[in-house]
Amino acid sequence: MSPDLLALFTTLKMATLTTIILLLIGTPLAWYLAKMQSRFKVIIEAIVALPLVLPPTVLGFYLLIAFSPQHLPGQLWQQATGQQLAFSFSAIVIGSVLYSMPFVVQPLQKAFEQLGEPLLEASAMLSANAMDRFFNIVLPITKASFITAASLGFAHTVGEFGVILMIGGNIPGETRVLSIALFDHVEAFDYAKAHVLAISLLAGSMVLLASIYLLNSPRKKTLKRASK
Amino acid sequence: MKSSSLERALPLTIDIQLSFEGVSFEKFNLTIKQDLSLRGITGIYGHSGSGKSTLLRAIAGLEKGMDGSIIFDNTSLIDSKTKCFVKAEHRNIGLVFQDSRLFPHLNVLNNLKFAASRCQNRRLDFNEIIRLTELDSLLHKHVDELSGGQKQRVALARAILAEPKLLLLDEPLSALDRQAKAGLLKLILIIQKELQLPMLYVSHSIDELQQVCDKLLVLSQGKMVGYDGIHRMIHQLNYTQNNHAKIDDFIHQQTSLSLPIKTLNNGHGLAILRLNKIDEIYLPALEENSIEETLRCFILASDISISLTEPVNSSIVNHLLAKITTINTVDKKVLITAHCAMEDGDQEFFVSISAFSQQKLALREMQNVYLQFKASAVRTYLY
Repeated sequence: MSPDLLALFTTLKMATLTTIILLLIGTPLAWYLAKMQSRFKVIIEAIVALPLVLPPTVLGFYLLIAFSPQHLPGQLWQQATGQQLAFSFSAIVIGSVLYSMPFVVQPLQKAFEQLGEPLLEASAMLSANAMDRFFNIVLPITKASFITAASLGFAHTVGEFGVILMIGGNIPGETRVLSIALFDHVEAFDYAKAHVLAISLLAGSMVLLASIYLLNSPRKKTLKRASK
Repeated sequence: MKSSSLERALPLTIDIQLSFEGVSFEKFNLTIKQDLSLRGITGIYGHSGSGKSTLLRAIAGLEKGMDGSIIFDNTSLIDSKTKCFVKAEHRNIGLVFQDSRLFPHLNVLNNLKFAASRCQNRRLDFNEIIRLTELDSLLHKHVDELSGGQKQRVALARAILAEPKLLLLDEPLSALDRQAKAGLLKLILIIQKELQLPMLYVSHSIDELQQVCDKLLVLSQGKMVGYDGIHRMIHQLNYTQNNHAKIDDFIHQQTSLSLPIKTLNNGHGLAILRLNKIDEIYLPALEENSIEETLRCFILASDISISLTEPVNSSIVNHLLAKITTINTVDKKVLITAHCAMEDGDQEFFVSISAFSQQKLALREMQNVYLQFKASAVRTYLY
């Protein structure tokens, strides 16, 4: 496999895994934030939103320290898995989960807030329990926000550079993702290869975003309904 | 589907205290201690902010953080002492909200199926309920395409298909126009009769409640001020309004009646109700009813006048001999209560006249007078 193709594969693997983890963690977190009335809510919201404003290298720097075998998180990981956390594939997945968190949590939180209580109360009065309400009322009604959240989380993870450079380094097949490979080509003055990667990333992101907007476009829904 | 056994009264014991936010976000305390025997339709009346919707939500299981207990059909739903709280989804109580709350991602049919599929022991025939609520033609419509009245019909059918033991109705008509209101009220009555389902009906409209309720509970500022048969309770409200001007449970003072229909149309556009062996009450002809059926109607106190002699030479068709029992004067307005003899006790009539007229006629208690009112003054909300 060519090094760039391997980087593409690593990138997709990282982004997919990150998106799945983010949906699993982000959904309950967003639900909790949407329903929360405590004043500590703003603090949690600020922590979730931090990666939006923080230079990725700052996050990467602290994660690098945390993941090192000299510190507790790194030590615990090593005890549990027998492998070093820093400069591993797992490290870049954890880093991306934190880094892309706001892109998943924020649209979901907004959707849950907008949904409010009325339909949940109505379904509770029809004997639907909490799980039933989530899967049969909340999920289908906020589907568009889930698509947006997943796509933004995925796309943002694909485009990640700073955090990965700090905690993952540049290990082919492990932590060498597309953005790092592109940087390598530029550093080696291999502009032809850099162009190929850059244009692929650009086109790929463009296609992904356009498909989200197409999928969530209200015009399509009304047309579909009118034609029924 | 008609229940063969006679409708059983379900006991509901409420003893709760909770604070709730009124319309303008001020805090109120709802304190209620009452045993209700739920049979037919029980109305809960009060102005906005009286706590009536909060009470309904407490029974439904949608209000938390209250002190006290609610026991329904010998099952404890809430007991703050034992920290017992049965969740809304486990209470087997239905609720029709003011704003329908249909699920926007499902069409009408699937909204109904949502309810039916979660019902534990289904006894009702799905298609029969659709026929009863006249939803056949709407089943495949999206909920956005429905009118307000249609939405409430779907909401009602959906609540029934969950087969609750008790159905709560929270201002179900308030968002509808008059025609849709009458249609839905009739439907509620039909459903009550067919399914023998006890209902608690919350409204701030005494006219609506007068048409459908058997009993009425009145709330004011979080406290219960009365609980009695519908006509007696409305008649009681005629006074409270006069005596306690502070209580803003404003209703039009009225005589509330249930009388058997004798004639639907006498050939001159008038229907006749039987009051007692001699007296009849004329009102505009009825089309949708049948003879001997009981009609709920009301006559505003301001629509009845008093004459000392029988007004035989008048165009006013209704004149009844009655005995004045009480005279209540507040601010130059006089509320007179007069009784007409009936086989099974007396029928009270309420008349509001000016203090000037009372003086002119020198009216006093125990005096016999003639009450007169036009046929068109006998109103019914439904027909």
